[in-house]
Amino acid sequence: MSTALKAMTNKRPFDAGRAAYLALNLSLLAFLLVPIAVVLIFALNPTPYISFPPVGVSLRWFEKFFASSDFMNALWLSLWVAGCVLVLSVTIGGACALALARGNLPGRAFLTAFFMSPLMLPAILTGLALFQSYLLAGIGRPTWGLILAHTLVAVPYVLRTTLAVLHNFDHRIEEAAAVLGASPIRVFFEITLPLIRPGVFAGGVFAFIVSFDQFPVSLFLVVPKGETLPVVLFNYMKFDLDGAIAAASMVSILLALSVVLVLERLIGLKAYVKL
Amino acid sequence: MISRHTMSRRKALRTGAGLAAIAAVGAPSILHAQTRTLKITTWGGKWGEVMKATVLPAFEKEFKCTVSADQAFPFVPKLQSSPRNDPIYDVLHTNSNEQWNSFTEGLVMEKITIKEVPNVADVYPYAVSDKIVGVTIFTSAIGLGYRTDKGLATPTSWKDLADPKLAGVRGGYIIPVNSLGQAHLMMLGKVYGKGLTDLDAAYKALEALKPIKLVDFTGQMEKMLLSGEVSEGVIHDSGVYRYDGQNQPVDFASPSEGVLALEQVLNVTPGSKVKDLAFGYIDYMLRPDVQKLLAEAVWYSPANKKVKLDAKYDAKLLTTPAKVATLIQPDWKWYNARKEDIDARVTKILKG
Amino acid sequence: MTSATIKLEQVTKTFDGRVVAVDDVTLDIRAGEFFSLLGPSGCGKTTSLRMIAGFELPDSGRVHVGGRDITDLPVHKRDMGMVFQSYALFPHRTVAENVAFGLRMRDVPKPDIVRRVKAALAQVALTGLEERKPGQLSGGQQQRVALARALVVEPPVLLCDEPLGALDRKLRQQMQFELKELQKRLGVTLVFVTHDQEEALAMSDRIAVMNKGRVEQVGAPTEIYERPRTRFVADFIGEINILEDEGRARALRPEKIRFVPEAEARVGGTVETANFLGGSTLYRIRTADQRTLLARETHAGERSPRGTGDPVGLAWTDSDTVALEG
Repeated sequence: MSTALKAMTNKRPFDAGRAAYLALNLSLLAFLLVPIAVVLIFALNPTPYISFPPVGVSLRWFEKFFASSDFMNALWLSLWVAGCVLVLSVTIGGACALALARGNLPGRAFLTAFFMSPLMLPAILTGLALFQSYLLAGIGRPTWGLILAHTLVAVPYVLRTTLAVLHNFDHRIEEAAAVLGASPIRVFFEITLPLIRPGVFAGGVFAFIVSFDQFPVSLFLVVPKGETLPVVLFNYMKFDLDGAIAAASMVSILLALSVVLVLERLIGLKAYVKL
Repeated sequence: MISRHTMSRRKALRTGAGLAAIAAVGAPSILHAQTRTLKITTWGGKWGEVMKATVLPAFEKEFKCTVSADQAFPFVPKLQSSPRNDPIYDVLHTNSNEQWNSFTEGLVMEKITIKEVPNVADVYPYAVSDKIVGVTIFTSAIGLGYRTDKGLATPTSWKDLADPKLAGVRGGYIIPVNSLGQAHLMMLGKVYGKGLTDLDAAYKALEALKPIKLVDFTGQMEKMLLSGEVSEGVIHDSGVYRYDGQNQPVDFASPSEGVLALEQVLNVTPGSKVKDLAFGYIDYMLRPDVQKLLAEAVWYSPANKKVKLDAKYDAKLLTTPAKVATLIQPDWKWYNARKEDIDARVTKILKG
Repeated sequence: MTSATIKLEQVTKTFDGRVVAVDDVTLDIRAGEFFSLLGPSGCGKTTSLRMIAGFELPDSGRVHVGGRDITDLPVHKRDMGMVFQSYALFPHRTVAENVAFGLRMRDVPKPDIVRRVKAALAQVALTGLEERKPGQLSGGQQQRVALARALVVEPPVLLCDEPLGALDRKLRQQMQFELKELQKRLGVTLVFVTHDQEEALAMSDRIAVMNKGRVEQVGAPTEIYERPRTRFVADFIGEINILEDEGRARALRPEKIRFVPEAEARVGGTVETANFLGGSTLYRIRTADQRTLLARETHAGERSPRGTGDPVGLAWTDSDTVALEG
């Protein structure tokens, strides 16, 4: 028996390593997916607390979530804000990346670090600082203020991914188009934009999710009756910790996922450029 | 400018996208010209539902104003960060210890008296005692919640939580972040030592409660009791009574040493531009009919002596001078002054 | 197809205000000519080409094409064709779309575009690959697409920036023939940048040899080869012996040296190394006075190459040497 085992391991010396490799991958996968599974069980469980094994399957928490005008308003606001943030951060981040990669600007390294800085700052401080600035400036806390705040923390994602694409961009392709008679604007729309699009939209997807899931920045910037879903969920938990939270989480996950998939379909994140 | 503002507001409401927020805070002078806005904080959950569905609309109608009710924590940091002369809230609703913090920083007034709020004349003494800044409109009693299906005797003393049978299934709080946990710590000083401020005795007693399940807010304690993860834990009466009629095997016990007060306190910001409305709101919240409505909705004991609750609620809540006398009010000013040291100490105790 | 003259007039270009890339260059390129800019990297040949294309603006001097001053004309209005070393095909467009691009920019009617794209692809033998993406083509095929894309708009001027540099030797030779043939057939003025002197000699009507931003010599390949004017040109083009003669340098091509009996020899020596090149052998010879000379011997008849250490006698006539400036 032991010799047989020895023969086997001798014959396939990678088995142990391969098993460890598989085990590592499986545990990583479990680490990522088990929390979602727990949330799902909680969401479908009829009791207002997690009981294991589940005592049954019920959609009552989903019903509660969808029937609540507080949750629905928050959900729509979050989607609306995230949509605006997507558009804004793609425009601003894409333009910044182009300027930084192409503009021959003085102090480029500093500017890049500057635009990336919202990622370095704890988001709660960003939110608090903006809250104070808005109040001091006397503009209150309008929705566009919240959108701008989210954009501020979302732009670095677009900037990063776009810079990565631009870094590997063969400038001669644009020159070739120019020689062939394309004006700078046509070069941008016919050549540059299609080629950096995968990077810009990969960043845009990040931007959407960063905004949709944004809690710390929103915490101070939402107003009564204008609260985003993560803030509403956080406050809901303080008073009613039940499966509606889990149902909301599942809906959030599915929404974020479907937005990513739709974007992927519409725009195609697969790059034809060498990334 | 004004018409554009209202238009965008109306449109926002119509889209249902929750855009009603536009500049509600940002343009107080403009709104002032039309209807005045009272900015308050209030709780969410069932309380928030009743407020939004009944109490606030009725108040708005009677006082011809708009109420902007913030249900999103954290209230005090937001108030701290806003200009003193144009605070983000006119009325701050929190538990007592947060009021003390706010008062120390000059964010809220010290006392609310009959002069400003006539209904203060009818409140129990605890509502305006020297342990309170502002005025208490409701209180809960912090005691022991327990499972009725585990063969446990009904707790009669705070010491019952130390029963060795409860090792690992007793519940407490992460003291630095939860005022129930903080109040309980003081109670341990009283029960095992010389009084509420006997921290050494309290630390020793806390050590003896290990192993203990810790949560950071009361909702979690409720769920742990409901799921049976915790058999007995520190909780406020409303956190147990709210499951009344749902056939849950949980009940609340008031220890003989007394229950701790978890007061719902209203206070006014000194910089408020609509102080009359703010006082009017507090007076309104102390009206017997409003008190009864909210008390029965969330199982809070009303501060107004004249409130007559239905029998079911009257039996359990603190509605008589005798029952009110069992309330022990922690000295939050004293506690908050030592909070950092206490936090460090209890964190060390509970970590081991 | 029309062709145009190109004239660079005392053109200077510096980068970052310090590095002089092109230094007072004047060139007259004739209509329909295959003209090469030859030199080592950093000699200014690519910068000169890019100034003709309009990618770089000269600090001073003028650029004329077809008699018209285009110095200040933006790239997209210059109506030129260009082929890049990296091909610079549009990776997100099909072959047909790549070739059609210039026509679309010129608002050519759609049916005409289809017809001309088809013809252009046929011209470079790529019929049938219209719907491929550039990433699906071989290097040689990509180069042909680039060529078709540049030529389909019938530009009077075609600029080529080391277009064959990325191809392997065999394919490069084949493309050299094709490109030259195509250029002659179309009559387009072609400016060809290369650092490969063989390539320049093989293809060009005329060559400008550049060094350190300056033009060292302009002339037909034979002229450049046979009568290099400067030491740099002599050295850069093919193998060469530089003889110091009373303080003046004279160039002598290895094939001008004859192997003779020692009695008739101008100088004697021994073979140090022999590089067999197929049609000929290139010898490095250590002379009696301790100099090194390169000599090339063509293999007529069946004589086998000489071996290392063999004593040889070498002779040449003075008219075979060329006096060099500088």
